[in-house]
Amino acid sequence: MAAHDMIAKPAARTLEPLMSVEDLAVSFDNGSGPRIQAVAGVSMSVYPRQTLAVVGESGCGKSVTAMSSMQLIPRPPGCFDAGRIMFGGRNLLELPEHEMLKVRGGQIAMIFQEPMTSLNPVYTIGDQIMEAVLLHQAVSPDEAAGIAIKAMADVGIRDPEGRMRAYPHQFSGGMRQRVMIAMALACRPSLLLADEPTTALDVTIQKQILELLRGLQQSSDMGMMLITHNLGVVAENADVVCCMYAGRVVEYAPVTELFDRPLHPYTRGLFRCIPGLSELRNRLVTVEEVVADPREYEGLRSEAGPVVPWWPFMDQSQRPALDDPSRPYALVEVSPDRWVGCWRTPEVARHPSRPPRIAPA
Amino acid sequence: MTEPRPSGPAAVSGVEVMRGIGAQEAKGFWADAWDRVRRRPGAMLGMAWIAVMGFFAVFAPLIANAHPIRLERLGADGQVLAVEWPLFAYLSPTDWLLMIATAFGVPWVFFGSGRLGRSGRIGVLIGLAMQAGATIVLAALLIWAAEGSGIESLERLTRLDAGPWPLVLASAIIMAVLAIAVPIAAPVMRRLGPILGAAALGFVLSWLAGGRTLVNHEQVILDEAAGKVRATWTLIPWSSQYTRSDMVGIAPGTRVADLEKTASFKGTPFGERRVLLGTDAIGGDVLGQMLWACRLSISIGLVSTGISVVLGVTIGALMGFFGGWVDLLLYRVVEIFMSVPTLFVLIVAAGVLPRNTYVMMAIIGFFSWTGAARFTRAEFLKLRKMDFVQAAQAAGLPVRAVLFRHMLPNGITPVLVDASFAIAAAITIEATLSFLGLGPDGQASWGKLLSSATAATGTFVWWLAVFPGLAIFLSVLSYNMLGEAMRDAIDPKLRKAAH
Amino acid sequence: MATYLLRRLLLMIPTVLGITLMVFMLVALAPGGIGAGLAVQGGQMSDTSKVAQMQAYLEDRYGLNDNVFVQYARWLGRVSPLKFGTTPLVAPTGDLVREPRDLPEPVMAWAFPAPAAFIVQYTPPSGEALVEDFKRLQREAEGTRRTYVGSVRGVKDALADHVRAIGAPWTARLEPKGGADPERFRDLPLDGDAPTLVKLRAAAATMHASWSEAEAARQRATIAFLARPYPAAGIEIIPNAFSLGAPDFGVAFSRNRPVWDLIATALPVTILINFIAFPIIYLVAVPTGVLASVRRGGAFDVISGLMFLLLYSIPVVLTGVFAIGFLANNQYLGWFPVSGLHDSAAATMTFMPYTDAAGAWHRGWLIDMVWHLALPVLCLVYAGFAVLSKQTRAAMLENFSSDYVRTARAKGVPSRDVIISHVLRNSLLPLITMFVGIFPAMLGGSVVVERIFTIPGMGSLVIEAINLRDRELILANTFMISSVSLLALLLADILYALCDPRVAYD
Repeated sequence: MAAHDMIAKPAARTLEPLMSVEDLAVSFDNGSGPRIQAVAGVSMSVYPRQTLAVVGESGCGKSVTAMSSMQLIPRPPGCFDAGRIMFGGRNLLELPEHEMLKVRGGQIAMIFQEPMTSLNPVYTIGDQIMEAVLLHQAVSPDEAAGIAIKAMADVGIRDPEGRMRAYPHQFSGGMRQRVMIAMALACRPSLLLADEPTTALDVTIQKQILELLRGLQQSSDMGMMLITHNLGVVAENADVVCCMYAGRVVEYAPVTELFDRPLHPYTRGLFRCIPGLSELRNRLVTVEEVVADPREYEGLRSEAGPVVPWWPFMDQSQRPALDDPSRPYALVEVSPDRWVGCWRTPEVARHPSRPPRIAPA
Repeated sequence: MTEPRPSGPAAVSGVEVMRGIGAQEAKGFWADAWDRVRRRPGAMLGMAWIAVMGFFAVFAPLIANAHPIRLERLGADGQVLAVEWPLFAYLSPTDWLLMIATAFGVPWVFFGSGRLGRSGRIGVLIGLAMQAGATIVLAALLIWAAEGSGIESLERLTRLDAGPWPLVLASAIIMAVLAIAVPIAAPVMRRLGPILGAAALGFVLSWLAGGRTLVNHEQVILDEAAGKVRATWTLIPWSSQYTRSDMVGIAPGTRVADLEKTASFKGTPFGERRVLLGTDAIGGDVLGQMLWACRLSISIGLVSTGISVVLGVTIGALMGFFGGWVDLLLYRVVEIFMSVPTLFVLIVAAGVLPRNTYVMMAIIGFFSWTGAARFTRAEFLKLRKMDFVQAAQAAGLPVRAVLFRHMLPNGITPVLVDASFAIAAAITIEATLSFLGLGPDGQASWGKLLSSATAATGTFVWWLAVFPGLAIFLSVLSYNMLGEAMRDAIDPKLRKAAH
Repeated sequence: MATYLLRRLLLMIPTVLGITLMVFMLVALAPGGIGAGLAVQGGQMSDTSKVAQMQAYLEDRYGLNDNVFVQYARWLGRVSPLKFGTTPLVAPTGDLVREPRDLPEPVMAWAFPAPAAFIVQYTPPSGEALVEDFKRLQREAEGTRRTYVGSVRGVKDALADHVRAIGAPWTARLEPKGGADPERFRDLPLDGDAPTLVKLRAAAATMHASWSEAEAARQRATIAFLARPYPAAGIEIIPNAFSLGAPDFGVAFSRNRPVWDLIATALPVTILINFIAFPIIYLVAVPTGVLASVRRGGAFDVISGLMFLLLYSIPVVLTGVFAIGFLANNQYLGWFPVSGLHDSAAATMTFMPYTDAAGAWHRGWLIDMVWHLALPVLCLVYAGFAVLSKQTRAAMLENFSSDYVRTARAKGVPSRDVIISHVLRNSLLPLITMFVGIFPAMLGGSVVVERIFTIPGMGSLVIEAINLRDRELILANTFMISSVSLLALLLADILYALCDPRVAYD
C-alpha cells in the first residue's frame, strides 16, 4: 500500500493506529506559582473500531491529552513541551490553525462532560448541528438540515424535525448529551474523543448513552478515546485501558488482562478499593494504603530484567538507581501487550520498549 | 523510549496540585487582595493622592487661614505690648478633634504594637471614623428635625445656651447601640472603641456652639502695614471664606502690591504676598479655598458612602436572607430608586432641602444605596443555599449569628470593593451639585470654584477651571483606580456575584 | 407578548407613584415650603401684611395649606386619566374649569362664632347668557374668596400681634418665624380691651363678613357651573362622578403657563440629545470591549482600559466648563457655539446646507443643530464608554471560557466566527441589561449638560423650577423623566426577551 493512501485513509484496516500520542508533555503557567506539568510524557494509541479508555483521578492529565490532540489547550498559559500526536501521518500539535479547523469536528470530534452547559443557549439545536455540518461538508443548508435530522434520529431523538427548532434549555441533560453526540457524529469523524460523556448523567441514562456510542462506533468504523474515572464503564465498553497518574501512564493493557491481573500498585489499589458485594469489611481499602506498601513493588520482570514500578511518592530509599535522575520514568513493556510505568534504571534505558500499541484482534 | 525534557525544576503535576503539593501558602483573603492592589502603580498613586487630600482635609485650618498664628501688639517705639494666638482661638472643636485624632491615630496604626495587628488597628480607626461621621450626621439631622418638629419641648432642646448637646449625646448613644447590635468584628476592643469614641465626640461637640474668637483680618493687615502689630502668618494667609473686594479675579502668581487697587501696600508684608493660584470672582483666594474644600470632598465621599453601604447592606441582607414577600416588597423599592434618574432626584432634593453639608451627605447616601443592596442581595441569595450556612442553621444558631457571623463577612466583599467607586461617584455628585449652586452654604467647594470659571460676564477665567478641575479629576480618578485595582484583585469572586 | 407588555406597563404604575410620592414628600419637607418661592413672586408689594395676604391667597389657590397627603392625592387625581367627582369643563380657551372649591372654615370659631350657614337662591339662565353669567360669577367668586382668605390671614396676624403684646409664656407657642397657629391658643383669654385685642376682634368681624360674601358668590358660581356653561372635558362615564380625561399637570406657579406646554417643548430636546448620545456610546464601547477581551492583557486592552478609566473620572461639569471655556469661548478657540440649540437665525435657514450663487456656503438648519449639539453630546457620551466597554469585556471573557465556546471550537468553527457568533452573541444579553443602569444616569447627566450649555430641555426646566420652588413644575418634570426612563427600561426588557430564548413572556 502506498504511503499517500495511508495518509488519506487513516481508518484503513492496517496495523497503523488511527491516532498515536507519543511522549506528549504539556505544562501550564500558573501565574506566580510553579508551572503545572499536567502531562509529563504520555504515550497511547487508538485504532479504528477500538475504544481506548483513559482512566485516572482528577488532575492526572486525561483531559489535557485529549484537548491537546484538538489543539484546544489555550496557549498561553498552556505549552506543548515535547512529543507529538500523529493522526493520518501528520503531527496534530504542529498543524497550522486553518488545517486544524478541518480536523476539528471533521475528522476528530469531541463530546464533553457537561451537556447542560456545552450547548449555546441562544441558538436552536438544529442551528448548532447544522453549523458543524456546513463547516465540514460541501452541502447546501437544506441538505445540511437533512443530515442534522438524520443525525438526531440516529442518536434516538424522537420527532427530530420538530426538535430542530427547540432551544437547549428545553432539553433534559440526557437529551442534550444525545444532541452533543449527534453534533459530533454528523460529520462522520474517524475518531471520537469522549471526555467523561456520562459523568453528569444518572445511571440509566449513562447506560443508554454508552450503548448508543458503542453502536454508532461499530457501524462507522470509528475509533474512540473514552475518558472516564468509572471502572464499571471501562469494563463494559473499553478494548484497551490506559491508566494515568500525575501526567504519566502507569499501566497500559487490554481491558480483560488489566482487570484479571493489574501489574502496577496504583492500578491494583484502584481495583482493591472497589467494595465487592460478597466481601464483608469493616473499612474500605484506600489507594494510598496499597501504594504505600513496599511489597507491592516487588517481583515485576521485563525483558530487561527486574523492574520497579514508578511512583512519584515512593521513598528515596526504596527507589532503584536511575540511569538519569532528570528522567526517572519509562513505560516498559513487561510482557506482550502489557506496559507498566517503571523507574528508568540503567537496564531499562538499555532496552527501550516499543511504544504502547495494541491492535484490535 | 525517551523522557521529555522537564519544563523547569519548579513544575508540579496536576495530581500533586490536587493533593495540595506545590500550592502557595494561603494568605488571608484581604491580605492577598492587598498584595495584588499593591502591585498596581495606578492604585498606589491614587492612594498617595487620597492621603495628601486627607492631610489637607485635616490640617487645612493650620495651613490656610486668615488668622495669624501669633500676633504681637507693638507700642509706639516697637516694644511688644501683648501677644495673642488668634489661630488657636479660632479653631473649632471639630478641627481640634480631627487634628488630634489624626496626629495620634495614624502613628498608632503604623507603629503601634499590641494584640491587634496593623489591619486590626486600621479596622478600629475606620470603625471610629465611621462612627464619628455617622454620629455627626445623625446629630445634625436630629437637631434639624427637632427645630422643625413644631413640638415645643424638642425645639427648646436645640436652643440651649450650651448648644444642642442632649441631641448630640443622644445620637452618639444611638450610634453606639447600633455598633453593639451589628457585631461584624468580634474583639471587644473594636466594639468598645466606637462607643467611647462616639461618647467623647458627643461631649466635645456640645461645646461647638460656644463662641469662637475672631480677629478682623482687614484691620490686622492695615495695622501690620502701619507697624502697629507684628503677625506670624500661616503658610497661606487666606481662609476659605475671606474675600477682598479689591482683589477680584487676580491671575495666579501675582504679587499683591503689583495690583493697581492694592498698590498702596507696597513694601508691607501684605503687599509682598503672592496670590499663588489667583483669586475668584468675589476676591477669595483659590488655593486657600481648594485646601479647605478637601475636607468637604473627603467627608462627603466617605460619610455618604458609609450611609449608602450600611443602608444597602442591611436592606440587601434582609431581602437575600428572608426572600419571599420581604424580598418582593423591598425589591419594588429598589426598583423605584433604580429606575429614577438619581442625579435628577438629587438635584431636586438638594434644591428644596437646606443647603447644609450633613443634609447633602444624607441625601447622597439615601439615593445611592441600591447598588450595595443589589450586590448584597445577590450574594445572600447564593450564600443562603450554601452548605456552611445551612450547617450553621442546622446547628441551631440564632438568625442573628447566622446573618452576621457567617453570611455577612462573605457577602459584603463585593460591596466593600464597590465602595471605592461609590466614593468617587459621591465626590462627583458633590462637585456637580455645588457647580449647579445647590451645594452647602458657606463652604469652600471645588465645584463652586469651577462654576465661577464661566462667569455671567461671558469671560472664561482659566485658573478657576484648571486648578479645582484638576483636584476633582485627581480625587475621582484616585478612588476609581483604587476601586479598579481592588475589583481586579478579587475578580473571580466578583464576577459571579455581579450577575 | 401582549400580556407580558400589559403586565409590565401595569407594574410601572406603582413605580411612578412611588417616585412622585418621594419627590412630593421632599418638596413638602422643604423648610418654608412652596410659599417661600411665592413670596419672592410678590416682591413688588412693600407692605408686609399685603405680602402675607397675597401668600395666603396663593397657598389657598394651590391648596398648599392642606395636609401633604391630601395634596398628593389631589395631584394624583388630576394626573390620573381616571377622574372621580364632578367632571371638569373645557373653556373655549382650552383651559380646564373645575367646580369652585369649598371655602376653608373661619378660624377661632370658639372665640368668634362663625355666621350660620345659608343657601343662596339663584336660577342660572341658559345659552349664551349662561356663559356670560358664569364668567362673571367665576370672577366674583375668585375675588371674594381672595378677600376672605386674606382676612383669615389677617386674624392670624392680629392674634400673633396680641400674643407678642402680652408676652411670656404665650410667646413660646408662636411658630419659629413668628406666625400664630390659632389652634395652639384655644385657652388664651380674650377678655379685656387691650388695643391688640380690639384689633383682633375687628379682624374677626372682617373675616366673618367676607366669609358670607365669598360663600354666597361660591354657591352662585357652583350652580352656574353645574348648569354646564361649557362642554365637559374628557369622556364622561357617570355624570359628575366618574370620567376619563387627559392627565392635567396643572399650571406652573412661576410662569403662569400650563406645565404641559413647558414640558412639551423641553422633553423632545432632552430625548433628542440622549438618542444621539446612545448609539455613539454603544458604537465606541462595544467594539473596544470586544477587541480588549480578544487580546486580553495586550497593549490595546491595557491602554483602552486606562484611557476609559481616565475619561470616566472626569466629571461632566468639568468637561462642560473646559469645552465652553477653551473650545467655544472666543477668548480661546471659539470653534463651537457657547449655548443653545440653534442659532438665532435658525428659523430662516433652509433644512439642508447649500452654496448660493455667490459661492458662499450656508450651513442650513440641520448642520446648525449638529454644530450646536456637538459639545453637549460630547459631554454626555464619554463617561459611558468606560462602563460599557468594561462590561462588554467582562461578559466576553466569561463567555470565552464557557463550555459552549469550547464545543464550538471543537466543531472546527474558525476563531473569528467563534468570537462573533458565539461569544459576542451571548455577551449581548448583559449589554442590554446595562442599558438599565446607563439610561437613568444619562438622563440625570443631561440635566447638568443642558444647564451648562443653556439648552432648553428638561434639565434647564427642572433647575429653574427648583430655584423658583415651583412644585407643579418639579413634580411634572419628575413624572415625565421617570416615565421616559421606565419606558426605556421596558424597551430594554423587551429586547432582552427577544434576544434570550430562555426568557418566557408569560
